[in-house]
Amino acid sequence: MRRYLTAGVALAMAGGLLVGCGGGDSAGASNEINLIMSNHPWQRAIEPLIGDFERESGVKVRVQTFAEQQMRDKVQLNLQSRSSAMDVFMALPSREGPQFARSNYYEPLDSYVSGAADYDVEDFPEAVRTGMTVDDKQIAAPINVEAVVLYYRKDLFREYNLTPPTTLAELTSTAAAIKDRSNGQVTPLALRGQSTALPFTFGPFLHARGVEWTKEDKVTPNFDDPRAVEAIDQYATLAREYGPDGVVNNTFTQSSALMAAGNAAMMLESSNEVSSLTDPGSSKVADDLGVVSFPAGEAGSRTTILSWGLAISSFSQKKDAAWKFVEWATGAEVQQKLTESGIAPPRSSVAGSEAYTSSLDTELLKEWNEVLTSAQTTGSTEVGPVGVAAPEMRKIIGDAVGLAILGRASAAEAAKQIQDGLAPQLAKNEG
Amino acid sequence: MVTTSQSDVSRSGQPERGAPPPAQRRRRRRRVDPTARGILPFVLPALLATGALVLVPIFYTLWLSITDRRPDGTNAGLLGFGNYREMLSTPEFWNSLRVTIFLFVVCLVVETLLGLVLGYVMSLDVPGRRIFQGMMLIPAITASVAVGLLWLLIMDPTLGAANQLLGAIGIDPVIWLGDPSIAPWSIALVDIWQWTPFMALIISAGIRALPEEPFEAAAIDGASGWRTAWHIGLPLLRPVLTVAILLRTVDLVRFFDTVYIMTQGGPVNATNTLNVYGYRAAFIDQAPSYAAALQITLLVLVIGIAGLFTWLRSREAK
Repeated sequence: MRRYLTAGVALAMAGGLLVGCGGGDSAGASNEINLIMSNHPWQRAIEPLIGDFERESGVKVRVQTFAEQQMRDKVQLNLQSRSSAMDVFMALPSREGPQFARSNYYEPLDSYVSGAADYDVEDFPEAVRTGMTVDDKQIAAPINVEAVVLYYRKDLFREYNLTPPTTLAELTSTAAAIKDRSNGQVTPLALRGQSTALPFTFGPFLHARGVEWTKEDKVTPNFDDPRAVEAIDQYATLAREYGPDGVVNNTFTQSSALMAAGNAAMMLESSNEVSSLTDPGSSKVADDLGVVSFPAGEAGSRTTILSWGLAISSFSQKKDAAWKFVEWATGAEVQQKLTESGIAPPRSSVAGSEAYTSSLDTELLKEWNEVLTSAQTTGSTEVGPVGVAAPEMRKIIGDAVGLAILGRASAAEAAKQIQDGLAPQLAKNEG
Repeated sequence: MVTTSQSDVSRSGQPERGAPPPAQRRRRRRRVDPTARGILPFVLPALLATGALVLVPIFYTLWLSITDRRPDGTNAGLLGFGNYREMLSTPEFWNSLRVTIFLFVVCLVVETLLGLVLGYVMSLDVPGRRIFQGMMLIPAITASVAVGLLWLLIMDPTLGAANQLLGAIGIDPVIWLGDPSIAPWSIALVDIWQWTPFMALIISAGIRALPEEPFEAAAIDGASGWRTAWHIGLPLLRPVLTVAILLRTVDLVRFFDTVYIMTQGGPVNATNTLNVYGYRAAFIDQAPSYAAALQITLLVLVIGIAGLFTWLRSREAK
């Protein structure tokens, strides 16, 4: 008996590890929608404004906010279980667009957009709209734009008598000079090394050399191109020789913390980080910061740009109320207000407005706006290879480049590993 | 709750020295006879709840693992052992199994040994014992997410406290989480920090409950301290130790939270435990059926190891 009981207890404890997804549908009142957001500068900027929407529209918005990965888990749980408990969610179409679209998770917005007289979807630049489109359907409405930019410390550059790098070759030589002139006391360049996060900052090294993730057919990976090997080699060298200790575990959190603490001279990161780096409460370098475009290669400066969007769940039972919210949150008036909190506006009318440009009152913000504006015409919207297996493909790239950073594989071996790893994942797009 | 029922069982069933004669024992056992009339209404709710919360998910997961469930909620039908075959031919599965077993063995051995030493110290009647006991529990009752975030800050190679302390005594900085050969040890360190006090508490309670007579007899016979501990203390403690080890085993084999917070299985999969791998498959790669196969494998592993301990214990009891 005792043995059975012990076994039973073990079984019960083991049972706890199996995912039991519950969470019934809390439909709520008919004029109430559920919004799930990621902890993000846009979320912090929009939350205080939601009260205005509720008063104007009579729709009550219930907000849930999570850290980015936890938000994805929550959103996926809702979608996989076809729950109507979530109406609107923050979406990253560059990452999960094709994957979610194939599973019919998104409510296509085209008919809503064309039915809204004042919405003016043409106001969004074409690159931004393309980023929100899968199979000719608009799956989300753009809420911001962000791009990989190069931050640098003006005070240190003056001290070392350096100018910010404008080409890929100068990027490495500047990093070497910083290492040399600071006697190794300052990390020359903070950049990403964590496998799934790395493609965002690695992509520009590839694109600036004129190489795309895949060949024209979109199913053959491009890592048999010698220029891709060069890109891996440069990224790995920068990370290994001039990056922070333990760089393979770093993403924007660690890079920004290093930069804000004054331990790094340059940082390759999203343009979003400007808000935390210029906050004197959390940043020691708020007054010494400069921003320049991603350095140019043979194909010019081609950074990665992406937009977050607002999507409506196809399982929502309050799609009209949900669209009302999306229309309001991505309309020109609200985007104008959001710029006051440092959100780069995706709408051209807002980005070019007098009210916005005159609000950019520091040298840094002016530089930042110029860099971001030019990124919207020169940048690539492909953060990683496009496909239903996008997250998995990014991990394959990140793992292989990580091995090269650690010196456990040569750049050529890493490229081969990516080439072989991506092929079956890209093939999934066909099915 | 689990602990209590466990130790109750062992107390009533364990034939300890000076146990009652067989007849008396049988009578005592009849008192908890599960087939007794009238007991059903009291047991039924618990049985139903257990069935709904434990058995249903297990069988549903089993069903998922042999079918092809798509992320859009449809199921393309039976696959048989296809998911398991794919799993066995994936190098990442074998890597994650290796990582899981590494963490299990290292953490369990260190936590048990340190727990014995600490538990002994805590069982002594010294002033301030209760305050010390309370403080010891803090790591175990802190949410693992908070523990992970805290250690992530401590182990930051440049800004973290760990390397600043090492630097103060002239030791070169350690790449705690960014080096694939060190990261698993760092994760083990966090687990040991978090759970050794828990082991020590169970063990100290066990030590304090031990009968005094055998130790007095050993002292009269002139046995040395070590011999007394090894030949009398440890064997008497074994039931308590087994329970403590069993509890840690189940937790360690399904190692997830601190890894997920601190490294997400990286760098280059060096800390990718089976459970983290399964999570990735389900929620990031959107392969629910493959993830179910991984979880069932994990379940078999947990039951296997727990069963092994139970069997060893029952063999010794004979």
